[in-house]
Amino acid sequence: MGEPNLSTEVTEKLPSSNPTAKAFTLTSALWFAAATSFGMIGAGYLIAPDFLANIEYIHFGRVRPMHINAVLFGFVTPGLLAAAFYYFPRLLRTELFSHKLGVFSAIFWNITVAAGMIGISLGYTQGREYAELPWPVDIMVVISFSLVVLNILLTIRKREERVLYVSIWYTTAAIILTSVTYCLGNVIWKPDTGALVGIPDAILLWFYGHNIFGLLLTPMGLGVAYYVLPIATRSPLWSHSLSLIGFWSLIIVYTHIGTHHLLQVPVPTWLKTISIVDSVAMVIPVMIVLINLWYTIKGKLGEIHADIGAKFVLTGTIYYFFVNIQGSMMALPHVQRITHFNNWVVGHAHIGVLGFAGIMALGGLYFILPRITGKPLYSKFLADVQYWLVLIGVTGFAVVLTIVGLIQGNSWYNGEALYRTLPMIQPYYILRASLGAFIMLGAYIGLYNIIRSLYFNRGAAT
Amino acid sequence: MRMTPTVIITGILALLAAITLTVVYWPYATQDKTPSEIFRARTAVENEGRKIYLQNGCVYCHSQSIRSIDWVHGAHRIAQTGDYIADEPVALGSQRTGVDLSQEGGEHPDDWHIAHFINPRYTRPSSIMPPFEWLGMERIEKLTQYVQSLGFKNADQRMARQRYWKAESIKAYEAGPDENARWLAEIAPEGWRNIPNPYPTTEASLQRGHKIYQNNCIGCHGPIGDGMGPAQPWIYPPPLNFTILKGREISGGIIYYQLMNGITGTAMPYFKKELESQKIWEVGDYIAVYFINQSDANAEPRGIDAAWEP
Repeated sequence: MGEPNLSTEVTEKLPSSNPTAKAFTLTSALWFAAATSFGMIGAGYLIAPDFLANIEYIHFGRVRPMHINAVLFGFVTPGLLAAAFYYFPRLLRTELFSHKLGVFSAIFWNITVAAGMIGISLGYTQGREYAELPWPVDIMVVISFSLVVLNILLTIRKREERVLYVSIWYTTAAIILTSVTYCLGNVIWKPDTGALVGIPDAILLWFYGHNIFGLLLTPMGLGVAYYVLPIATRSPLWSHSLSLIGFWSLIIVYTHIGTHHLLQVPVPTWLKTISIVDSVAMVIPVMIVLINLWYTIKGKLGEIHADIGAKFVLTGTIYYFFVNIQGSMMALPHVQRITHFNNWVVGHAHIGVLGFAGIMALGGLYFILPRITGKPLYSKFLADVQYWLVLIGVTGFAVVLTIVGLIQGNSWYNGEALYRTLPMIQPYYILRASLGAFIMLGAYIGLYNIIRSLYFNRGAAT
Repeated sequence: MRMTPTVIITGILALLAAITLTVVYWPYATQDKTPSEIFRARTAVENEGRKIYLQNGCVYCHSQSIRSIDWVHGAHRIAQTGDYIADEPVALGSQRTGVDLSQEGGEHPDDWHIAHFINPRYTRPSSIMPPFEWLGMERIEKLTQYVQSLGFKNADQRMARQRYWKAESIKAYEAGPDENARWLAEIAPEGWRNIPNPYPTTEASLQRGHKIYQNNCIGCHGPIGDGMGPAQPWIYPPPLNFTILKGREISGGIIYYQLMNGITGTAMPYFKKELESQKIWEVGDYIAVYFINQSDANAEPRGIDAAWEP
């Protein structure tokens, strides 16, 4: 049972125009710029809390969830979906079921994210991290996901390539499973609070919160990597068996580990034990996938370097390695005594969501842009500039926030009052905001480049 | 293995169902709903305050979850399942940009919290919490009621103590500077009243005292120690004007004792968890030298000479 051979691209019968992929590309680029701007405001408050003081709609407690929701549902997910809407028709040798539905789902997606942002900014939040969006927006999110599920399932049904490639497995699973876990995690059957009562609420929340990364961003990011890397290097996928084991072990292991956010909370010990054991076991799905991908491109770094999309994607796989090794380590209770409750975890979140999933989404966008517009990128130079700005920014975040986390964690663990640690970490907050400015600048450069590439590109058609 | 759509969809959904039942539904179904010994129901106002707390993202910087490894703020009681049985949603928090609030109720009197919400740096000069003046007094008061309920029955006991001493401190303040200074001296146990600051005043110790004063005291007592810091309009009895203490027999020991334990009922917090002994003596001497203009540092009786003294 082999994979479809990606080493030569399938182009017959498919019109190059792909309005759905274009719409999601633009969505992602726009919300990347918006989300990093929200993040920048938040970083400003941490340096100078009287900066923008007393402006209700953007004060720290509101701009932080706006940043997170805009990143997850505005930037990364649509970016990975844009690539998916490109590679689904290619891999299935058929046209997308409906571009009308696709474009509508992109527009509805934007309305949903915007409604969520405005809602949180006005104080309509359910106050649960990653599940802040109020009930009507929750329903809109579920509709958005359902529209995408419908479109891709019906595309799969009318496919002309019998064999489903790995990227199809991952993305289909991600969208279907997240439609379910989103409803569960947001306790959608209780519209007024969107929550359970007491400790079970925390267990459910972190089951869901962790699965936003584990069952949405990760499989869709891997879907892009499994598609882009073999094509860019013109190499067949290294191992079908590893693809299979990687996929199923991810679904099994990742879903067990949300409780590692609650190791220091009174939840049942057996549940903590499961989450710790499976967090360590995460090295299995992660390393299997990485071995498979890295062996696929072995000796072909030149080809990767030549394609800006593939360059982002390879960088994403390296961050995938780091975030997961770090994550497995952080789930160990002794390590967590130092790392929990402080900026170490914020660093980890940025390595995962920006370093891996976000960079993977950017890779997908830059990989498909020339292919959906039929022209080279408006500027490969600007894309390279964005690559370095984002890479320097997120690497700097990892270093600076880890240092801050160690200062905080070790101080607290040794009896220092939190209040006394605030002046110690202030300089690092300034560094962090400066690095955030790199990322935000990268996002705006990317937005400009993507808009020019999509709509105002005078470059020659290829 | 042939990965058909049916295999993928049924496979992932079956796995998700099985795992959700195990790691979410099973702990939900077997949860212990017994209230902990400190639990009590919240009042209507406290519930409204909790909504304001959630609406404005307080939970992103403040945890409500004391761990066995915690030392300082609220760490006198480790969290139990039975503390959370009325929380919907639960507000454990995931980050401590600010302190844990599990046992915040009664740590300070209401006026401290109100000044702190108007601008956190009024009462905590190094705080990085943004101001909440824009909430308006009505919502700030509800939020304060909620914060003062954190810790449930423990908080109620502390609040009763705050109210008792609030009345005492107001009585002393309103009786005039003589009476107020006498009261401030008398609430320190007698042993402390007779102890002078045992360490000599040096240029270095005053510099350090100055820094500690700026990081902890300036918001209420003001840059010249006259009690006219920015928090002053919100606090009653108002912050102490140190300059009235000259000639009123305030020993280094009394200052040390009050800094260490705070003055319950007033906005003066205790610093024993945040400042080590040397820092308390040094900021006390800074106040005595610069604001009271009368320091008993290194006066007799001194006991054993410290090893580092010249």
